[in-house]
Amino acid sequence: MNADSRQIEHDAAEWLARRDADDWSPADTAALDAWLSAATAHRVAFLRLEAAWNEFGRLKALGAGVPAGELPHRGRWSQAPFGLQPATAHEAELVPVRVRSRRASARRPAPRRGRAFAAALLVALVSIAALWGWQRFDHVTPAAYRTTVGSLREIALADGSAATLSSDSAIDVALSRRGRNVDLRRGEAYFDVAKDASRPFAVQAGSRRIVAVGTRFSVRRDGEDVRVVVSEGTVRLESDPGDGRSQPVTLLPAGSSAVATAGGVLVRAGSIADAERALDWRRGFVVFLDTPLAVAVAEFNRYNTRPLVIGDAGAAQLRIGGSFRWSNAEVFANLLEQAVPVRAVREADRIVLYSR
Amino acid sequence: MSYRRAMDNPLDDWFVREILVHEAALVQYLRRCWSQTDDLHDLRQEVYVRVYEAAARSLPQQPKSFLFATARHLMTDRLRRGRIVSIEPAGDFESLNVLLVDEVSPEHRLGARQILKHLAAALDRLPERCRQIVWLRRVEELPQKTVAAKLGISEKAVEKQIAKGMRLLAEHYHGRSPAPKSAGRGVKRRGAGRLE
Repeated sequence: MNADSRQIEHDAAEWLARRDADDWSPADTAALDAWLSAATAHRVAFLRLEAAWNEFGRLKALGAGVPAGELPHRGRWSQAPFGLQPATAHEAELVPVRVRSRRASARRPAPRRGRAFAAALLVALVSIAALWGWQRFDHVTPAAYRTTVGSLREIALADGSAATLSSDSAIDVALSRRGRNVDLRRGEAYFDVAKDASRPFAVQAGSRRIVAVGTRFSVRRDGEDVRVVVSEGTVRLESDPGDGRSQPVTLLPAGSSAVATAGGVLVRAGSIADAERALDWRRGFVVFLDTPLAVAVAEFNRYNTRPLVIGDAGAAQLRIGGSFRWSNAEVFANLLEQAVPVRAVREADRIVLYSR
Repeated sequence: MSYRRAMDNPLDDWFVREILVHEAALVQYLRRCWSQTDDLHDLRQEVYVRVYEAAARSLPQQPKSFLFATARHLMTDRLRRGRIVSIEPAGDFESLNVLLVDEVSPEHRLGARQILKHLAAALDRLPERCRQIVWLRRVEELPQKTVAAKLGISEKAVEKQIAKGMRLLAEHYHGRSPAPKSAGRGVKRRGAGRLE
């Protein structure tokens, strides 16, 4: 197959070169037409070479300043006559500037007076910060963050932690000197927690509480079901003893994921890479591994307002794997049609998947 | 000798204007998705064949997207034929495509001077003998016969060098890399994950 495409290209070049020669006859035209019509592969190869060759007719402009019969040196075009700038001209201009600025900063003496001033300023700042901190010891600043369907939001929290809110999600954050509390009201959020042993970082998700000191993890809520994925450090999963029975506290190491439902807590140990993969939504992807289509579709719908709908039981049971951009359900449907036996019917407000 | 086939057929004209201009991006895309470098030439041709045949039935509204979709489908087909079950790579093609569509500026926007520069650079990359013959034929416009007489070689030899030059020039010309200024712009967008 490889040899074929190269062979065709050779043949096309031969035809083109022969046509370019001096003894081209009508019979040759007919023969070329026959060759071109024999296969589209012939035609596209020919068109491709011909287009380039025609384009090279512009080179006549290069011959203008050169005596006939004389072949110019290679690289001559990058010099003056045609106003063609060498590619390096700009770079050459930049270099001295860079060198100069580096030297200037290296030579500049550090003024002693400036240093003393900086020290005084630092003392002043520390004092202000201490005073401010004292005043805020018990102060709680609640803040609410929301995302709509199809958007993500990165939030820098005042304690230095960072949160990433997934599509259609909501958190309330309350930070004080005694503790850091996040209420996951809906959806999923990923937390990169700043280490602070004196202030545990706790995420409340319905009746579950996930506590971390300094770590990275995500919490997702589907009604009362909660899923936790830990990508660094250890978190503690606690449950409210709502039904009278006391529920055990579960420790989740890095790489593990836990699904807490009314029936109990299921912990799955895995590698950190597994955990990271489950958090790929932050980078715009959802990842499936031998996942039933019904589950994959539900996942996609978290991010899209035009939902994918399973049309029949056969389609629901198909299993798929892969990493997909969650922002585009249409493309996902296209890929499915190519890879698994489904047929997508695109309606105005939804895409229905039928088995075929 | 003055016979020119291209441009007298609207479909051929469309193919050159709307599809071939994206060859550099296409090849870059294929190379990223397909590990078998040996297959690239063949894949490229197969993509062109599919696009041309589809366009003969009905002209795509978005030629560039159509070109990349065709490339993607082709690779998926090949994977399936190779009995590779996971569609993971297909997912990957998709994200790459999103990248590429933004990354490469259409060739039409290049200035005439820039095009000339590309052409001159391609000419200079030819082997010596080939370059000399292409120069005489294409720049000085001497007939092949005259070129042969001038160099004291057979007309057949000239024709052969011309054919070789055509292949190499097409490779350089169509396969030229996009302007360095815009390179990498699309990469940053990869993780943006917003609705498009």
